[in-house]
Amino acid sequence: MMWAYFIHLAILIGIYLILALSLQLALGYAGLVNLGHIAFFAIGAYTSALLTLHGVPFLVAFLCAGLLAMLFGFLLSIPTNKLKGDYLALATLSFTFLVYAVTLNWNSLTRGALGLAGIPKPVIFGLHISSNLSFLILVAIVALITYFIIKRVVSSPFGKVLEATRDNELAIRILGKNAFKIKSLAMAMSAFFAGIAGSLYAHYITYIDPSSFTLTQLIPILCIVIIGGLASLRGTIVATIMLTLLPEPLRFIGFPSSVVGPMRQIIYAVILLIILLYKPKGFFGEVEID
Amino acid sequence: MDIFLQLLVNGLIAGSIYALVASGFSLIYSTNKFIYFAHGGAIAFSAYVLWFLFSKLGLSFGLAVVGAILFASFLGYLVNAFIFKPLRNQKTSSVILLIASVALLILFESLILILFGADVKTIGFLEVSKGLSLFGFIITPLQIFILATSLVLLILLFVFMKKTRLGKAMRAVADNKDVAEIVGISSENIYSWSFVIGSAIAGIAGVLVGMEQNLDPMMGSSLMVKGLAAAIVGGVGSVPGAILGAFLLGLVENFGIWYLPSGYKDAIAFVLLFIFLLFRPQGILGIRKRADI
Repeated sequence: MMWAYFIHLAILIGIYLILALSLQLALGYAGLVNLGHIAFFAIGAYTSALLTLHGVPFLVAFLCAGLLAMLFGFLLSIPTNKLKGDYLALATLSFTFLVYAVTLNWNSLTRGALGLAGIPKPVIFGLHISSNLSFLILVAIVALITYFIIKRVVSSPFGKVLEATRDNELAIRILGKNAFKIKSLAMAMSAFFAGIAGSLYAHYITYIDPSSFTLTQLIPILCIVIIGGLASLRGTIVATIMLTLLPEPLRFIGFPSSVVGPMRQIIYAVILLIILLYKPKGFFGEVEID
Repeated sequence: MDIFLQLLVNGLIAGSIYALVASGFSLIYSTNKFIYFAHGGAIAFSAYVLWFLFSKLGLSFGLAVVGAILFASFLGYLVNAFIFKPLRNQKTSSVILLIASVALLILFESLILILFGADVKTIGFLEVSKGLSLFGFIITPLQIFILATSLVLLILLFVFMKKTRLGKAMRAVADNKDVAEIVGISSENIYSWSFVIGSAIAGIAGVLVGMEQNLDPMMGSSLMVKGLAAAIVGGVGSVPGAILGAFLLGLVENFGIWYLPSGYKDAIAFVLLFIFLLFRPQGILGIRKRADI
């Protein structure tokens, strides 16, 4: 019993890690205040769920989830490229609401508020990933690959240009780099990983509905990235583990389940406020948002 | 023609509520220069406080309304004193303030869930059902009340901003904080006052919304998006602009249902917000500032 619970937590940590690392790429390294990250997560989850429900193999659906999220990330970056700070935050935030409204209202596709149930567990080359342990292995592999790719990207010359764009976009443009293209790429890449995290989430929980992808879900991820520190992958990993485990004791104190959910949100919101007040750079952070 | 009139009236009523949401928000934005996203949460909270005082404790309606509005302004005061003032003292960027206010919105919504529960609540004051038929459209007494209250309030707000000392000081800080300080206006005081007054307007909006529709804990977010869209469309930081944007949004939403399924009514605000952010971020009445965008 205990064992199954730990595996469940480890899977959640893995999914959150992919999501947080991808947000780190956009927010921490590229300096894009993207508050629409949950929308890409939603797009990935719905794409993968709908495709597999219509008989498409998991691996194809999984990749499509990433690619479609990536496409939306790229499309969102075109009009918002010129926007900075507040305005970018607002535009991306309204993208979250827009995706939410579409998933809620496009009944013929997403079944609206009823959600999609019975999403099949992944099957990879005839291998049925039905037990939680095997799902954990899958999540772990994807999370590791995500980590290494993002690590590789941020320490590559492109990563340095990305950070330079964050710190001084004008200077980068004077040096003849195409800042728009750089930011679009960062956004698209970040959206790709959010999309595959969404796919994993959908196939793990096997049920998704629009309420799984609201602004409320953004707070833990944002919290992880800011507490871990911007532009620090190590910080993100530590913070993901810490913050996923932190509200868990609530379950054992014996609160009714209707209180546990809002309590978790309160904990995350308060932690986020405290960290912004007292340690705006987070624990391993090197830069501040501006 | 009848449908046209009816949609026009519906649009104006929706617009008058959005105008209250947007004007309080705009007031806070104009002096503080950041997007106070938790404003919608304050509205939802005060609607719940009204429900609690009126339906649960059985106070008279007038007393409950006063209580809800006082609660909202006190909340605004606390939020400024304990969160935004310390953040300002650290010279925090407006994006961080925005993120803090999003966290605050989630905090308010979760508190509402814990304190009042997730079930839908209604404040049964002034029945919604019986409508009066005038010149070919139907309007309920409650809607007339909402329209009249918000118009009176908006006029009062306008007079307050133009004629009183505090209103002038607010406009001075909004315009140029440093110069305002040179002539002896304490900007910290003004920030605090704009939170108190802006939140009081949120409280009034909460009362009106609570009378018109059922309460649900997440109503703050959706109201906030409407208010924000109205404020951006009209010109963020300009209170008259916010009111203009609010009525425009109310009308566009209601006429939009002619072409779109009504489920998409909420999406119209996002689309409008998005279009304005991209093509005219300063809004209809706003002045373009190069550095901001």
